[in-house]
Amino acid sequence: MSAVPLDLRNRDRSARLRGRLFHAAIFASTTIGLVVLAVLLIDVIRKGLPYLDGILLTDPPSSLPERAGAGPAIRGTIYLMGLLLIMAVPIGVGTAIYLEEYADRSRWYNRLLEVNIQNLAAVPSIVYGILGLAFLVRGIGLGRVLLAGAMILTLLVLPILIVASREAIRAVPDSIRQGAYALGATKWQVVSRQILPAAIPGIATGSILALSRAIGETAPLLLVGALQYVAFNPTLLGDFTALPIQIFQWIARPQDEFHDLAAAGIVVLLIILLTMNALAIWLRNRYSKKW
Amino acid sequence: MSESETEVPIKSLTPRDLAREKPTPEPRSAEDVVFHVEDLVVSYSGKCALRGVTLDIQRNYVTAFIGPSGCGKSTFIRCFNRMNDLIPGATVEGTIDYHGTDLYGPDVDAVEVRKRIGMVFQKPNPFPKSIYDNVAFGPRVLGMTDNLDERVEQALHRAALWDEVGKRLKESALSLSGGQQQRLCIARCIAVEPDVILMDEPASALDPIATTRIEDLMQELKNDYTIVVVTHNMQQAARVADMTAFFSVDVGQDGDRTGVLVEYDTTDKMFTTPSDQRTEDYVTGRFG
Amino acid sequence: MRVTFQQELEELEHSLQIEGELVLRSLRGAVDALTRQDTELAAEVVAFDDDIDRQYIAIHEGIEQLLARQTPVAVDLRLVLAMLHVNLHLERAADYCVTIAKLVTLTESLQGDPTLVEELEEMGSRADEMIRFALRSFAERDPVGAEELVLFDEVIDATNRRLVHQVLGLGTDVERREWGLRMILISRCLERIGDHAVDIGEQTAYLVTGEFREFTDASHGDPRGTNGRP
Repeated sequence: MSAVPLDLRNRDRSARLRGRLFHAAIFASTTIGLVVLAVLLIDVIRKGLPYLDGILLTDPPSSLPERAGAGPAIRGTIYLMGLLLIMAVPIGVGTAIYLEEYADRSRWYNRLLEVNIQNLAAVPSIVYGILGLAFLVRGIGLGRVLLAGAMILTLLVLPILIVASREAIRAVPDSIRQGAYALGATKWQVVSRQILPAAIPGIATGSILALSRAIGETAPLLLVGALQYVAFNPTLLGDFTALPIQIFQWIARPQDEFHDLAAAGIVVLLIILLTMNALAIWLRNRYSKKW
Repeated sequence: MSESETEVPIKSLTPRDLAREKPTPEPRSAEDVVFHVEDLVVSYSGKCALRGVTLDIQRNYVTAFIGPSGCGKSTFIRCFNRMNDLIPGATVEGTIDYHGTDLYGPDVDAVEVRKRIGMVFQKPNPFPKSIYDNVAFGPRVLGMTDNLDERVEQALHRAALWDEVGKRLKESALSLSGGQQQRLCIARCIAVEPDVILMDEPASALDPIATTRIEDLMQELKNDYTIVVVTHNMQQAARVADMTAFFSVDVGQDGDRTGVLVEYDTTDKMFTTPSDQRTEDYVTGRFG
Repeated sequence: MRVTFQQELEELEHSLQIEGELVLRSLRGAVDALTRQDTELAAEVVAFDDDIDRQYIAIHEGIEQLLARQTPVAVDLRLVLAMLHVNLHLERAADYCVTIAKLVTLTESLQGDPTLVEELEEMGSRADEMIRFALRSFAERDPVGAEELVLFDEVIDATNRRLVHQVLGLGTDVERREWGLRMILISRCLERIGDHAVDIGEQTAYLVTGEFREFTDASHGDPRGTNGRP
């Protein structure tokens, strides 16, 4: 008995067309984003490349474009990022551990804490600047110093870190906890030996996000006292500046050469950011495990 | 002679009173009772999940808990190593004596309990570490770090896994097959030298061959440990268990579902001449 | 739940009851052949045994498949095991009917004693009743009734013993004596059919209570005390 031939050809032309249009639309949106980014990068690199040299990286700024450098600003930014990591990561991860593993959700203060963390992430950064000015610079008398800048940046990025760390901790399957408890581990042993190691990739990602957010912040730093023209290398408890501020200062000048210098500064900023990201990604991959 | 009669109708069984009632068998001796459970009631946030359980678990036996879903058998087994403590809102009333000491007494530390009473879970849950580090985790957290290599090797031997992984202890535990992972979890449990091994549906996520290996392992392990296993597979209970407890769901006036112990006896009796009609209905599959 | 399994059990038991009907037919045929000296009927009985054997094999295969595929436990397992035994007992009973038929053919030309033949006919009726009763109490799961088969069996046993004396008193005629010996064999066959009916009753008791117990044991004295007396 021969089989009855089936007509398996596509019948619904309009559905296929709609499918193709959708595919084209999402492809276009991806491309647009990439193309715009590429255009910006190419423009910046083209303008800034001639000025990328040792002078830019080490020398202090000057009113002559050939001799202007961003040394103090670069140092300032690097110090700020370093301090940020040292302060924000322990506090952020500690908070996340407390909320996920130790806090009793039914208690009102824990719920209050949770709600406020979400709110903090939405606060405009200039508010942090005002906060820093009022409490750190004037209130406790720290003065307009690098440390104050680092502290308010920490507050700024803390919500991001906490959220990312919490997600990372939550992503650890409960079966791992159960298995560890069943072997007689205490709560602290479970957290330190199982959960944290497994959450490192997520925490690293959170750190990348935090740093990326903080590195470009200008307004809060200005309020806390970052100076626009700093010719000496910054110290912890002294006057300071940061790369975004230097870039802003150069753009504000009328001469075109300073605009090109600003482009070079942007390139340096991007390089710093990419380096930090690469480090964090390497860290994440090293500790990443497939579930 | 009379003509043949018309078809003889076949009636269902006569009432249970014709079957002889036998009480729960006496333990071999008082020392052979590992757990004595008396009137246990477990509730989650006020709702009773399991009530009125009284039984003894005997040393070096495999004891199986069977019953339909929701009958409280997993809840029950988790009482033995105080894993229910990890569930907020869970309360335990009544007593469970472990070698004469109340497990839920005021001075009893859950960590000490879990040192002696280990657990293997339904879905194999190896840690995302190497095979060696998995087995070594328990001894390390409990401070049993002397001769760690030997401990790990012994545990893997006992779990019938050494031949397969002995040469690759540094590889990730997640690279093992499901059956191997479950045996790794058993090795992990054995490494801390427990007295009792609890198994909550240990083979339900495994293929038939891996299941058979786990069942064979249970028979070997019972010589050194006391094994309690929850299973939804009746045939498995019939194959591996010395004693079987059947739990069922009691539906109350307001639709509340509570688990109750229906019958507890030797496996032979439970599967040939059970005393309770509910048990018989369950093992013959007339009710799920 | 397990509807297919329940159906298979019921069908198997139904087949068993049918086999019982076939055995009763065979028995009736054999006894009628004896009373009417009908060798044609006897030959039919012998040929009919093939039908019974086919039924026996079919039931046995059914049991084998049920055990392999369904892993019955508790009461289901006891039912299947009981059916296994009952199947065998019915088949053996049928074989005895064939033996009776063959003996009828062998004694075709011989002159018999009608009184004796009447006694044998009576035994045949008893055996028929016993098989019927055993099958009914199995179907009704009635162990108490099943035990009453022992009383029926005593009647057959008593008649069997009486027959020996009657045959001894048949005289010295060689043909008569040969006929008498064959009749004793027939009587023995009927007595064995009765025993198989009792065995079926024991299976009924096992099925219901889970205990296997012989109603009477040949190696121990009959507690009712008719042992040794004629």
